Amino acid sequence: MKKRAWFPRAAAAGAALALGLSLSACGSGDSSGGGDGGKIHVLVYGDSANKVEKQIVAEFNKTSKVKAVLDTIPGANYQQKLQTIINTDQAPDVFFNWGGGSIKPFVDAGLLLPLDDFIAKDSGLQSNFLPSVFNAAVVDGKSYGVPMRGTQPVILFNNGNVLKDAGVEPPKTWDELLDVVKTLKDKGVTTPIALGGGDKWPTLMWFEYVYDRVAGPELFEKALGGDKEAWASADSKKALSMLKELVDTGAFGKNFDSVKYTDQGSVTLLAKGKAAFELMGSWEYSQHQTDNPEFAKDGLGYTTFPTIEGGKGDPANVVGNTNNFYSVLKKTKHPEAVADFLKLMYSDKFVKAQLGIGNLPTTTNTEKFLDTSASPEYSKFQFDLVKKAPSFQLSWDQAYPQSAADAMHTAIQQFFNGQLDADGFIKAMQALPTS
Amino acid sequence: MTTITTVKTVERRRPAGRSAARVGRPGIAWAAPAAVFFVLFAIVPLVLVAVLSFMSWNGIGSPQFVGSDNWTKLFDDPVLVKSLWLSVLITVLGVLVQTPLSIVLGAWAAGQQRNRAVLSAIFFVPLLLSATAVSVLWRALLDPNFGVPAQAKWLFGDGNLLGMQSGAIGVLVFVGAWQYVPFHTLIYQGAARAIPKVLYQAAEIDGAGRVRQFFHITLPQLRNTMITSGIIMVVGGLTTFDTVLILTQGGPGTDTTISAYYMYQKAFKGFDFGVGSAVALVLVVVATVISLVMVRLSGYDKMRSAMEGL
Repeated sequence: MKKRAWFPRAAAAGAALALGLSLSACGSGDSSGGGDGGKIHVLVYGDSANKVEKQIVAEFNKTSKVKAVLDTIPGANYQQKLQTIINTDQAPDVFFNWGGGSIKPFVDAGLLLPLDDFIAKDSGLQSNFLPSVFNAAVVDGKSYGVPMRGTQPVILFNNGNVLKDAGVEPPKTWDELLDVVKTLKDKGVTTPIALGGGDKWPTLMWFEYVYDRVAGPELFEKALGGDKEAWASADSKKALSMLKELVDTGAFGKNFDSVKYTDQGSVTLLAKGKAAFELMGSWEYSQHQTDNPEFAKDGLGYTTFPTIEGGKGDPANVVGNTNNFYSVLKKTKHPEAVADFLKLMYSDKFVKAQLGIGNLPTTTNTEKFLDTSASPEYSKFQFDLVKKAPSFQLSWDQAYPQSAADAMHTAIQQFFNGQLDADGFIKAMQALPTS
Repeated sequence: MTTITTVKTVERRRPAGRSAARVGRPGIAWAAPAAVFFVLFAIVPLVLVAVLSFMSWNGIGSPQFVGSDNWTKLFDDPVLVKSLWLSVLITVLGVLVQTPLSIVLGAWAAGQQRNRAVLSAIFFVPLLLSATAVSVLWRALLDPNFGVPAQAKWLFGDGNLLGMQSGAIGVLVFVGAWQYVPFHTLIYQGAARAIPKVLYQAAEIDGAGRVRQFFHITLPQLRNTMITSGIIMVVGGLTTFDTVLILTQGGPGTDTTISAYYMYQKAFKGFDFGVGSAVALVLVVVATVISLVMVRLSGYDKMRSAMEGL
């Protein structure tokens, strides 16, 4: 009996083992590798902007012997998935990124190709882009990325109707902002400034601008470079006290941490006239065009961030997402083809296509085509803003290493809701890893 | 060893001759698929996580051995200790809120009336929704400016529910209960239906009212069910993640950063897989200890029958 019972047992165990093995084999399946014959793989964040990327790839393939293949990773997990494949055979040749801290770990791991050689052969790869944007993908003095989508500066949006009803103008200086907030509160606007504090990063935008205006971009650069004392400097303390004053006057109302930008909470506040201002990335404009078209036409206004008297920062400086970039992996087998591909990123065709889907490219020839954009006036305002900016500060959470982002967001939120005072905030920022 | 004894019992019960009987009752071979899966997808990853917790790895290249660095970092980390307390707090609150509701609803739904069946079916709906959908839904409903709090200022004040610790924890517990009470109700409904009618008939003859019947028959009879449902609640509570991710993102500050979410932050947002693994391991140990204590204290391991004397 024992002998006969042995067989089915072994068979079952064997089957189970085989199943397990075949499952684990899925991970190393036969998806196309980066270096196969005459192809370069281009990996981008999957969303509606892929339309243009497809067009550019098709354009490139018309003339090139080495064919480009566009791969997309949809959804918000782009960075995680990229990090997983970048050091494997499935790594792409060229990939989408946010510059700054998002590519730093890859540079540190020696995976990325500095673009200096490409630029030496064709200086257009640098000179055709706005310098403030191009510099956001410079790591340790070397360029690692070419801008490949639209720029997204942070802009102070307003609801013109609310301002008109209260009889005030959009503020040009910080003191005017405080006055306007007070007037609005007196007139019964409980949330003069809409803030999606639940998302945390919208709160960060206020820090970025106030620090830049008060201390100039140098303070943050120093801090990012490892000089922790920068956070404890007099300028830093001044910026914090100004932010604190704004929060304490009730400018953001009382429930901003329960409001989110991402579920349209803060956007709706502005559109419905329950708030007069929102500080947000340039994408807010197209969002209103989609969700609140009437408001976008009649009520939505936008200005630069107010100046701060006595501040060291140039009032023309901007902060936000400079652009997205294409970076190149060292192990690519077709560097010449990649260089040719990157050159398309300042072609007229590329610029027109990006403007057509509402993105604002950051090439020097963009200006020529601004009239063809979906909303020319807004595009011109943005382009001027970015072009004239001596410095374009990349969002802090993207400039710092990724391991710092959560602790930074926590400190930002806690300072606004009063759980941290200035000293506590300074300590929290000093504790962030900088490399 | 077990296999042989079971096979022998079978032999004794059924006379030899039929081949089906000769294959025997479930043995190692039958358990093999499940066992292989368990080893492959539970034990092996667990061991790897333990190893990884002594390494520094950002997902690129090969992990570097760093000794106990991650662990010393972790024990100095006030957020970890806080996150463990928060996990326990949310779990305890979850059990305290969900158990009475589920028992009452389950006992009620156990009746055979048509209206109860219809209402139970409707009540079951939240369980069919994914936790993500449920969280997004409640997030919108609780918007302080356009949701329920804006209409009921007398109850919610300025509506800053998710902006303060007590409010945020309250929302997490409430949304968890809203989704999982139907499931536990279902368990209790089944268990309550299995209680022999004779007990109630006898009690009625003795003159016990409804309330008395509930406390002296239904509740004691549901003891083992309570433990089962309790363990499911505890495990679910300790591993709460999706509601936190969507409703609070660990905020305000770190006030709802429970361990599972903290692990996610460290490993998958900060790409510090070493520390993330260490957090995961702490969570495994804490959860194991808690469930062992529960099993011991409740006498669940002895599996005494609730129907002695029937």
